[in-house]
Amino acid sequence: MPNYNLNVNHKDYNVAVSSAEMPLLWVLRDVLGLTGTKYGCGIEICGACTVLVNGKPEKSCDLSVASAASKRITTVEGLSANKSHPAQVAWINHQVPQCGYCQSGVLMKVAGAINSGKHGAEISKEIDNICVCGTYQRMKKAVLGL
Amino acid sequence: MNTHTHTPQSVATSETLSKLSRRDFLSTTAAMTGGLFIGYGLLANDAHGAVSTTQVNLWLNVGSDNSITFSVGTADMGQGSAQGLAAALCEELMVDPANVKIVTGKPSLAVPAPISASINTAGSGMIKNYFWRTRDAGAAAREMLISAAMTAMGDSNRDNYVVQNGVIINTSNAQRRTYGDVAASAATLPVPTNATLVSNLIYIGQRVKRQDIPLKVDGSAVYGIDVRIPNMVYAVIKHSPTFGGVLATTPERPRGAIAVVPTQVVAGTARGSNALGNVNALAVVAETTWDAMRLSKAIKPNWTIPVNASVLNTAQFKKDARTLLRSGTPYTGLNVPGTVYTVETVGTPKSAIGTSTKKLDLTYTLPYLSHACMEVLNCTVNYVAGVSCEVWAPTQAAKNVLILVATLTGLSVDRITVNTTFLGGGLGRKIELDFISQAVQVAMAINRPVKLMWSREEDFRHDMYRPMAAVRVQAGLGAGSVINGWMYRNVSPSLLGQRGATLSAKGDSQAYEASQDLPYNFGARSTEWVMHGSPIPVGFWRSVGASINTFAVESAIDEAANAAGFEPYLYRRMLLSDPRWIAVLEAAANASGWTSAAPAGKAKGIAIGAAFNSICAQVVEVKKGAKGPIVTRVWIAIDCGICVNPDQVEAQLMGGVIHGMNAALYGQQVCSNGVAQADNFNHNRVTLLHEAPEVKVIIIAGAIDRSRAIGGVGELGVPTFAPALANAWFKLTKTRVRDLPFLPGSTMSD
Repeated sequence: MPNYNLNVNHKDYNVAVSSAEMPLLWVLRDVLGLTGTKYGCGIEICGACTVLVNGKPEKSCDLSVASAASKRITTVEGLSANKSHPAQVAWINHQVPQCGYCQSGVLMKVAGAINSGKHGAEISKEIDNICVCGTYQRMKKAVLGL
Repeated sequence: MNTHTHTPQSVATSETLSKLSRRDFLSTTAAMTGGLFIGYGLLANDAHGAVSTTQVNLWLNVGSDNSITFSVGTADMGQGSAQGLAAALCEELMVDPANVKIVTGKPSLAVPAPISASINTAGSGMIKNYFWRTRDAGAAAREMLISAAMTAMGDSNRDNYVVQNGVIINTSNAQRRTYGDVAASAATLPVPTNATLVSNLIYIGQRVKRQDIPLKVDGSAVYGIDVRIPNMVYAVIKHSPTFGGVLATTPERPRGAIAVVPTQVVAGTARGSNALGNVNALAVVAETTWDAMRLSKAIKPNWTIPVNASVLNTAQFKKDARTLLRSGTPYTGLNVPGTVYTVETVGTPKSAIGTSTKKLDLTYTLPYLSHACMEVLNCTVNYVAGVSCEVWAPTQAAKNVLILVATLTGLSVDRITVNTTFLGGGLGRKIELDFISQAVQVAMAINRPVKLMWSREEDFRHDMYRPMAAVRVQAGLGAGSVINGWMYRNVSPSLLGQRGATLSAKGDSQAYEASQDLPYNFGARSTEWVMHGSPIPVGFWRSVGASINTFAVESAIDEAANAAGFEPYLYRRMLLSDPRWIAVLEAAANASGWTSAAPAGKAKGIAIGAAFNSICAQVVEVKKGAKGPIVTRVWIAIDCGICVNPDQVEAQLMGGVIHGMNAALYGQQVCSNGVAQADNFNHNRVTLLHEAPEVKVIIIAGAIDRSRAIGGVGELGVPTFAPALANAWFKLTKTRVRDLPFLPGSTMSD
């Protein structure tokens, strides 16, 4: 079985998987047990699986474990130690999530936008995630202070 | 949707609740260790026969360690209702909501029910059904605790005691006892049946923050799909792509797979084409989800396709529906397709229309709709042959899961545990049991703990869809442009019929809801429902029948206004006399600045409707885009009786509007030769953030008083969106859209 070194949330892992093609999403969820990153569509549309790769948002459902190796991966579990990332604080203050399932991916998208120097309404423009609960209005409001 | 899916007669409406006396209420279970427990719930006929008489759906525990636990029998799918009930409990217990731990109940069939039980999460019903019961239980618990403290402190003058955040204080001598100090002795006292409720409310009606939200910002909330148990393997389901297809031969286990397990349709999951006993799917089991998915794609099972597959087409369904708008056979006691059921008749509408000066004859059609919950269907099972079975599932019907597992495994219910996880959306789909049954079948076949999951493609293609429908409205306008005759006929497949219910002469309550007892002054009227024979599996979809009927009714009212030369808002005012409906209509119109001219290139439409005991009106503002309407703003007013948490009412309505918008603009599941066509989000376009209109919510709620009927909220944003949009679009373009969706065939690339 192919073997890869991964750095996820500042921790080093060595994973053995059935195939080099296995998407990072399933390595995170099934092999490493980091289930905060969600499966939504599997075809890079909904954004529920978004993680940061070297600080930039990427959809992990179609990112092979081979190509993720040796890069710096951040998942929603690694956003902060105590829900203290500004996006997390804003999401709680504005009571954004309903079912919450898409929000991990949305928060990673927001974190990525902040990393690239964006603020407030500029961050909204980066959010192209699908939220079936329709929490968009609160997302827009929540990013205004970021 | 109904709280019970099997017997429509046993729907828990507020009417049946009000008939219940307090004898069903408040039963203590002092036998439990660790303080005071109080359980309460509905006394209802159980859908499954004589297994239970008293349903204890909620319970509270004041622990000797000062903990307070509140168990709610429903699932959390983001609707916030458990949090609303917790606020009601905390008000009466006089404790900060942050100090209460909210847990989801586990189902039980024991008699009497133990201190935990679950109920279906459905019908926008939690606050409606349990708000006062929760307050009564909280007040009873508080008085028992104070009573115990009075004994402990040797002062029996109740007036000397106050409670501050769970601490009982004797104001005459400053002695104190925490709830924990006296919980055990309180548990030995009788339950008072008339404890006085708190009058100075500090949590009810306030924007109390939800406890589940912090768990949903750091990945710690465990949804069904996130469950992990030791030694677990992963299964991915693969159905016959054609509805009604049956596995001909089981394919060989591919290299790398642990097992290939055929699964069948069992009692409680047979719906339409999915007939009882059909082996309509197989599960591929592997070491990871990805491996199971990969191997599942690679195998090519041989399916026996049903002979009727070639006629299972959307165009054929529509044609059949249009025929039944003008034909059908009278009800004879049998539930067969083509039967005309009479929902209501007042006077002789046919002759009233015949003598009218203006006549309208309008047809509206609506498609099948997928649920498309963000979290696909899944279920995790740990089965130890002949010994025990534990299930984790994102389910809206945990008790039905328990019964199903008992049937499939032959285990007694005390050996079965059902854990309800967080739901990544439920929307009515997760009240079904098909995915549960498959997971249990696989676990029994392989003798290992297993998590079974559907791929997104399977989730779209094997949904139990919101029924398609065709509706014909005939109306006659008489002197003064009033409607003096109204004939309404809805043709749609039967949700309850597919669940084996025997329908009465009125037909399927799920199909005709929101089409009868309309408060418009129509004069003579008739409302009919005709059973359509399509075998495509149908199910409960957020707001159910109201999502169909409110579109037809409110579009037709607008068309009547136009025919009468009336302004649509004033026309509705003229036809309405119910003060609550008028107030809601007015609130939405006023908030939108209805009477002032719309900005250039924009127009507004209005619609109103009632569902789940609430009344809701919506104004949608629209402008022209390259491909069709662009929704710019929405104003939505609701009268839900009382409002427990305005923040959550707003959230639900804002979300409901987007859900209604997804359906009205894009939503449809097309069937071609028995195969559902939209198989992922790319072919099931939904609204994205940059397209989401600003939604302004207006809540009309009265004093928190038992005399106010409480209405539901969770599903109310949906039904009025489509007609308000169609009415706005007509005003803007003079084009009347009678067939949904507005933009069929849309993709996420549009």
